Amino acid sequence: MKWRIVELETHDAYFNMAMDEAISEGLMNGSSPPTIRFYTWKPGAVSIGYFQSMKDEVNLDTCREFGIDVIRRWTGGGAVYHDAKGEITYSMIAPASLFPKNIIKSYEVICGWIVDGLRTLGIDAVFSPVNDVLVGGKKISGSAQTRRGGILLQHGTVLYDTDLGTMFSVLNVSRQKITDKMIQTAQERVTSISKHINADKKDVFLALLRSFTKDKDYETGTWSENEIFRAKALAEQKYKTEEWSFLR
Amino acid sequence: MMFQAKKKVKEGKVIKVELDCDELIRNVRITGDFFLHPEDILEEIEKSIVGLERNADVWTIISSIQRALQSRDVQMIGISPESIALLIREALA
Repeated sequence: MKWRIVELETHDAYFNMAMDEAISEGLMNGSSPPTIRFYTWKPGAVSIGYFQSMKDEVNLDTCREFGIDVIRRWTGGGAVYHDAKGEITYSMIAPASLFPKNIIKSYEVICGWIVDGLRTLGIDAVFSPVNDVLVGGKKISGSAQTRRGGILLQHGTVLYDTDLGTMFSVLNVSRQKITDKMIQTAQERVTSISKHINADKKDVFLALLRSFTKDKDYETGTWSENEIFRAKALAEQKYKTEEWSFLR
Repeated sequence: MMFQAKKKVKEGKVIKVELDCDELIRNVRITGDFFLHPEDILEEIEKSIVGLERNADVWTIISSIQRALQSRDVQMIGISPESIALLIREALA
């Protein structure tokens, strides 16, 4: 089985999440290969878990003011601020049969690729069940997965240089209420690559690329016309709609 | 009347329940940062709670949820029927 690797790209939130679903559909009907992709978000965005309430989790006024997109993911889990410059996101879409049936064990396998990549950079990362990677007890990466139609989609972020101030202002804590203590508390729980090593984003991406592709037969590729067409349709007809955004 | 409760449950994730209730539970919405596979089972869980009496005990609520789960191969992470039931009782107390 040959994997397709799509190297670091930048898209908006709607295309990014729609492409994950388009590839999942393509894999189900045999038109897309198993795929690992790396990407960033522009503009920055807040994504919420499939079961979360948009109104509860996101400070929509602040997002509008800052030009930050908001989107509901296809996967469960928590709300994430995707800093346009401060993180690298990955998605892995493949037959679920390649991974343990037990969800937490499958997180361990895929998050293990992140752990390995960070370790090659000299960062002492460890997997922390259910879906996190920690360094020194602080979160540096979070992931979420869904399984539909025999396909496993897992996506997640690796924090490169997180802007905690903006993160707090968009994740439904009003700016007036943000205190130094809150940011300090977050800093005690969250870390990023830039706090541990002096590496540029491309080096981090290359380290992840190596660890994600280790022992895999793969080729670097891009999207088919059908995938782009379907992703654009899903972005417009699903991910940008009020009905989807405010599903819960 | 509307009732709600929210907490980080013992399985580790945050759950919020909102209920529309008179003598019976008329509507329920469960939200949070948990994982459920398959995802659409949450609607079945919510439906299983609608129609229960307002003073239904924890075991009755758990049984209803488990009936909704029994025909599917469900994996719940960070959430459980017991935690949902306890939170519903907390909301309606």
